[in-house]
Amino acid sequence: MTVLASTAKARFEGVSKRFGSGDDAVQALEPLTLDLAENAFLCLVGPSGCGKSTLLNILAGFETPTTGRVLMDGVPVTGPDPKRGVVFQQGALFTWMNVAENVAFGPRATGKSAAEAARIATHYIEMVGLTTFARRYPYELSGGMQQRVGIARALANDPEILLMDEPFAALDAQTRELLQEEIKRIWQETRKTVLWITHSIEEALFLATEVVVMSARPGRIKARLLPQFALSADPAVVTSAEFVRMKADIFGLLREEALAAQKQEQAR
Amino acid sequence: MSAVNSTKAAARRSRWLNLGSFLALLAIWFLLTTSLFGGPLVKPLFLPSPVAVADTFLTLVKNGYQGKSLAYHVGISLFRFGLAFVLTLIVAVPLGLWMGMNESVKAVLDPPIEITRPMPKLALLPLLIIWFGIGEVSKIVIIALALFPILSISAMQAVRGVGQRKIQAALALGASRTTIFRRVIFPASLPGIFTSIRVSIGLGVTMLVGAELIATTAGIAFMAMSASDFLLTNVVIVGVLIMALIGYLLDLVARAVENRVVHWGGKEG
Repeated sequence: MTVLASTAKARFEGVSKRFGSGDDAVQALEPLTLDLAENAFLCLVGPSGCGKSTLLNILAGFETPTTGRVLMDGVPVTGPDPKRGVVFQQGALFTWMNVAENVAFGPRATGKSAAEAARIATHYIEMVGLTTFARRYPYELSGGMQQRVGIARALANDPEILLMDEPFAALDAQTRELLQEEIKRIWQETRKTVLWITHSIEEALFLATEVVVMSARPGRIKARLLPQFALSADPAVVTSAEFVRMKADIFGLLREEALAAQKQEQAR
Repeated sequence: MSAVNSTKAAARRSRWLNLGSFLALLAIWFLLTTSLFGGPLVKPLFLPSPVAVADTFLTLVKNGYQGKSLAYHVGISLFRFGLAFVLTLIVAVPLGLWMGMNESVKAVLDPPIEITRPMPKLALLPLLIIWFGIGEVSKIVIIALALFPILSISAMQAVRGVGQRKIQAALALGASRTTIFRRVIFPASLPGIFTSIRVSIGLGVTMLVGAELIATTAGIAFMAMSASDFLLTNVVIVGVLIMALIGYLLDLVARAVENRVVHWGGKEG
């Protein structure tokens, strides 16, 4: 089905996560195995609290799994690493640095000279279309621009995997659509391996080469789909019959889970 | 953009209101003390007129007070405050940052600071005079004691308040612990540190005045206190106004530095 190479860039092996202890403990993730194929754009969708972000945080190295392990290129992940770039939803930019300094932070931290880091920053700032805003500070930018900075900053280290935790969730619909098109272009250009978390079914179908639907807490894999729209350059794919059909499928799956999640909430 | 304009308009209006309220106070002072309507309402012994106070000020500038120039009295006060403030700043802030970074350091230093924090430090002055005499040391120590908890605890809390996501972002970008401290945690703590600096300037000036009221022969608060013994109300008021002005100007300087250094403070991005 997929036209992309299928070697696993990263692999979750029997990964589970339990927060807290005793009676207050919460099982966020059931033991779960999942491959992130090289050059894949994998979208995780699922109801709130299903452990999607936990999964991403474990691969990022911010959290350790309760059981199982995560491998990248066959090597266990033990902590954060510049080979895995992370883009957050919001609030992660360095507010005391301007755009250029934010983007140059990674190259500087990984040992590049100031001149080299500045050159890299200029390149990625151009890629996300913020050249005229390079000397501005994050608080002078709109939410969409701030997310572009976050993306450029993560790309500046030339990571092998990009981890994106609902990067567009706080943006308005129009900005979000434009940025989705831009992310698609950047992915088609760079072919980074991406793990992307979203609530939006359309976003997942539009961007992903693989969509993994997760169940309500404790998180399990409920379904895997391999949409083909990521390779298209046409924003109008979203109106194709195939797109609409898959959207309805995922919608159905998520609805069951959302109802289950709601029941859990009320039971507490 | 319109939001920016309306804040500017609001700021302009506030400035006019500030000025108006200041002028009104001055007018009340003038009316209470003027002889224009057949004798002042308040006797000059209790409240001399603004004109008389201005006169006294000029005389003090020309002749000084008790053998020392007015500039000397102001200078020695500023010296005491400045030295105590700078010494405390360079010890308390790094220590607070360290407490914020290291749980063990916090566990050791937190109890002594927290226990002594509510104690009114001026109450220690008699003891400090026995220990250090009535010279400069006891005054500087009393100011430092008052400022230390504020500056150290605020620095600690500022560190602990740094957003987890910013630290995670820096980690994922490959930053070492030192880089994270130097380029993320320290700058992110600066707004909190500056807030405590401004609070401690107000408190520091208060402590300075308290210390100078007791057993000194120079300083602006000493001038006011000693003039009060001779019922030189004019001199007392000049002293009070100068102290108010010092407090105000120091805050102005601190705010200007703050706006320059942490222009992004309080604005999330």
